[in-house]
Amino acid sequence: MKFIKKTDLIIIAIILLVSAVSWFTYKYFTKDEAPKAEIYYYTELVKTIDLGSGNDVHFSIDNEPDVIFHVTADGTIRFEQSDCPDKICINTGELSRPGQFAACLPNGIVIKIIGNKNDDEPDIIIGSSGGQ
Amino acid sequence: MDNIKTLTINDRSNKTRKLVLTSILFAISLVLAWLESILPPLPIAVPGIKMGLSNIAVMYTLFFVGAKQAYGIAILKSGFVVITRGLIAGVFSLTGGILSVSVMLLILVFTKRNASYSIVSVFGAITHNIGQFIVISLLYAGTNVWFYFPVLLVFGVVTGLITAGILKVIIPAFKKLV
Repeated sequence: MKFIKKTDLIIIAIILLVSAVSWFTYKYFTKDEAPKAEIYYYTELVKTIDLGSGNDVHFSIDNEPDVIFHVTADGTIRFEQSDCPDKICINTGELSRPGQFAACLPNGIVIKIIGNKNDDEPDIIIGSSGGQ
Repeated sequence: MDNIKTLTINDRSNKTRKLVLTSILFAISLVLAWLESILPPLPIAVPGIKMGLSNIAVMYTLFFVGAKQAYGIAILKSGFVVITRGLIAGVFSLTGGILSVSVMLLILVFTKRNASYSIVSVFGAITHNIGQFIVISLLYAGTNVWFYFPVLLVFGVVTGLITAGILKVIIPAFKKLV
């Protein structure tokens, strides 16, 4: 077996092209307007936060008090603190665009950003400022 | 299929030798997984995306020992992950491992082993992470994980080439040993 072949470069170029096209297509179609964040504990939706509220808050959920979330005034959410070993959730950083998500898999928590235009979405916004 | 046979050690050695080699490679895969865990975190922290250093050992097994043994290492490794990091981490490891070994094996079979190390490694890396993405979307919130799919692809190409490079360096050295 060879280390690398000429045809590999073509295949790799196609992979990179697919990646770039899907990235920019997605970016183009989600010019978001004040999205919401959903926090899941495993498959259970624990909290929905309106990211357009303009408040800067820190909070945690009852299922995992050691995990602290941070919502900023300019409409982002992130994992601020967690007791998990790998800290991938914190390193993922701020989320603001629909489709983005961050997960703390050891604690079973996922933050997921959803767009605001789905009107069929049940309107269970638990106040982001009163949720501490 | 003849050319596959000549590349395995099956012809010129016995079962014991194969067993010992597989065990050593399994141990190496565990050490590589540990090594990866103590390295500084990746610049792109996306859940489910991993460097996959232990794929070096899995690929060596697949190329020079056999497909059965490669599956064996993937399964044993996830068993080890269950013991050390819990059931869910084990499910991640198993799904990614089985999917990537299967895809790498398919590439070898379809190209009659004319594929290069690099391309096998790149597809192994990409499918391992796809496997983990599937688990995330099944176990957690049906998350729309495919937002990060482009990241996964690019990252798979990079890490796949790195692991193929390391494998290339290791093969002659390891062959002298066994």
